[in-house]
Amino acid sequence: MSETAVRAPQHGPPGKAAAARPSAHTGWATRRDRRGIAFITPFLIAFILFIVVPLGYAVYTSLYTSRIIGGTVFTGASNYTSVLGSGLFWSGVIRVAIFGAIQITVMLIIAFFFATLFDLGVIKAGRTFRAIFFIPFAVPIVVAALMWGFMLEPQYGPVTHLASALGAGNVNFFSSGLMLPSIIVIVIWEWTGYNMVILYTALRSVPRDVVEAAILDDAPLWKIILRVKLPLVRPAIVMLVFLNVIGASQLFVEPLILSNYQAGVITDNYTPTLYILNTAISGAQYNLAAAMAVILGVIVIIISVGALLFRRRRGELSS
Amino acid sequence: MTTSALRRGSPAAETRRERRRREQLEERTAQIPVKLYGLRPWTAPLLTGLAVLFAIFTLVPILWIIINSTKTQANVFQSFGFWFARPFEFFHNFSLLFQNVDGDGTYIRWFGNTALYAVLGGIGATALAAFGGYGFARFRFRGSRATFYLVIAALLVPISAITLPLYLVYAKVHLINSIWGMVLPSMVSPVGLYLMRTYVQVSVPRELIDAARIDGAGEVRIFFRVAIPLMVPGLMTVLLISIVGVWNNYFLPLIIFSQNNLFPLTVGMGLWSQHATTSGDNNLYPLIVMGGLVTIVPLIGLFLILQRYWKSGLLLGSIAN
Repeated sequence: MSETAVRAPQHGPPGKAAAARPSAHTGWATRRDRRGIAFITPFLIAFILFIVVPLGYAVYTSLYTSRIIGGTVFTGASNYTSVLGSGLFWSGVIRVAIFGAIQITVMLIIAFFFATLFDLGVIKAGRTFRAIFFIPFAVPIVVAALMWGFMLEPQYGPVTHLASALGAGNVNFFSSGLMLPSIIVIVIWEWTGYNMVILYTALRSVPRDVVEAAILDDAPLWKIILRVKLPLVRPAIVMLVFLNVIGASQLFVEPLILSNYQAGVITDNYTPTLYILNTAISGAQYNLAAAMAVILGVIVIIISVGALLFRRRRGELSS
Repeated sequence: MTTSALRRGSPAAETRRERRRREQLEERTAQIPVKLYGLRPWTAPLLTGLAVLFAIFTLVPILWIIINSTKTQANVFQSFGFWFARPFEFFHNFSLLFQNVDGDGTYIRWFGNTALYAVLGGIGATALAAFGGYGFARFRFRGSRATFYLVIAALLVPISAITLPLYLVYAKVHLINSIWGMVLPSMVSPVGLYLMRTYVQVSVPRELIDAARIDGAGEVRIFFRVAIPLMVPGLMTVLLISIVGVWNNYFLPLIIFSQNNLFPLTVGMGLWSQHATTSGDNNLYPLIVMGGLVTIVPLIGLFLILQRYWKSGLLLGSIAN
């Protein structure tokens, strides 16, 4: 303590700042704190080289158009107007939005349900169940899509056979009507365990006495779960919603792999990311693809920031 | 200085049995007895039944891939998918992994590539995140907060908006078909940085760092001798998450590699599944199934080995805000 006092701030605002933030550490010489820059520099260099520069280049290149005659010319916002006016792009965006709304909701309900059961200890052998549920996280998405592709395949797939044996008739899980639900099931399979484990760890940190008080009040189990536990892990749920929205907006591996099992259903523009990939690689229209990527990013940012603002406003109202 | 004392108290010094007993004890004392919830007698069995159902749903594809790794191509399609069929071809299928069956490439080569990219990328990402997370958590300098939030905001940017231009830039600096083109971007992990910062804030006390400073230790020495030993569970989590990230990565290698012998597993197997359906190649399906199985096994093994580390590390996610 005395050491801190001796090394009173040499530069920087004395007194006032220290009073505003009653921490013993604000007193440290800023010269020492500046050494922290050395610690973050390696990360920042890599961050700038491999995230900031590519991103900047995407914006830059999206403002140009390459033509067979005349080479690459600056065309300003023309790539953007053609993407924004493209029904193909927006149909993919809408499909992914529907996908995300259903998949994330169902998955989080399942994950929260089991996380609370394990947390409360209602189910025996919770440890084993948790380990089993987590297994899909270790399965690369390409492999997961391949496995499910085989299992749901319309002609030979064992699940298709089971469905017809159970009297469902000849189901084609990869028909244009059932493709999206099938992808939803696959993605739920992939990610529920991971979300469940995060919710479980969050639930473990809910203080025991809060729950005990609810028990003393004779609250039924479902009330303890929804009224006591759920509000306390809301930050974790919000974070998971964010991560899952970002993940859903980038859906493309599953449809790409499944398109090998059923031709025709997965169109080039099935999801925005798939459309970007196809426009860039098969179509060699890099500038247009870059504009799409930027627009997709802006959409995700608008949704996330909008959700944050909405939450903040609601928070103010309730408090 | 204090490091040896710290190490003695850390879980690493326990024997396995001691640790398991301690964890069980902790879990039991933290748990409110189920009796107190006043459940009806059928509730617990019903809920357990639901968990069993979901466990079956989770295990069915794994079971499918294990069963079908033993089959011939004909049997993969003609026999019932959830049961074994003769002849038992597991070892033959396994040997296919070492051959270039259809001219696209050899599985084992892709496996080696994936492992190399994952290990280099994972270690690099963990090191950068450890330095950076410690820097952001324990030093306050002008612009540190803004920089940190800028890094976190990068999470919102879709991979395609980074990967695609990366490819265009690579074409100019000759990083197409270079393993560094794959490994270096994998070393940037904003999530890893976030987790490390949170972990340092929670588990490396400022007082300890200050005490070491008073003892005259330099900042680098403090980082390696005081902070790192306390950061191990966090480091393991970040390492695991980064390795899984590289292991799973599909978009970047798909567009930057055109030479098959540089492919990671994901791209190679994607190519096979494409060729299997278009060319009707004879032996590709057993290869894909066996390849899938062998891809999964090391990761599940890694998770089980590092379980006690990432479990405590994942907690970080929930401390967020």
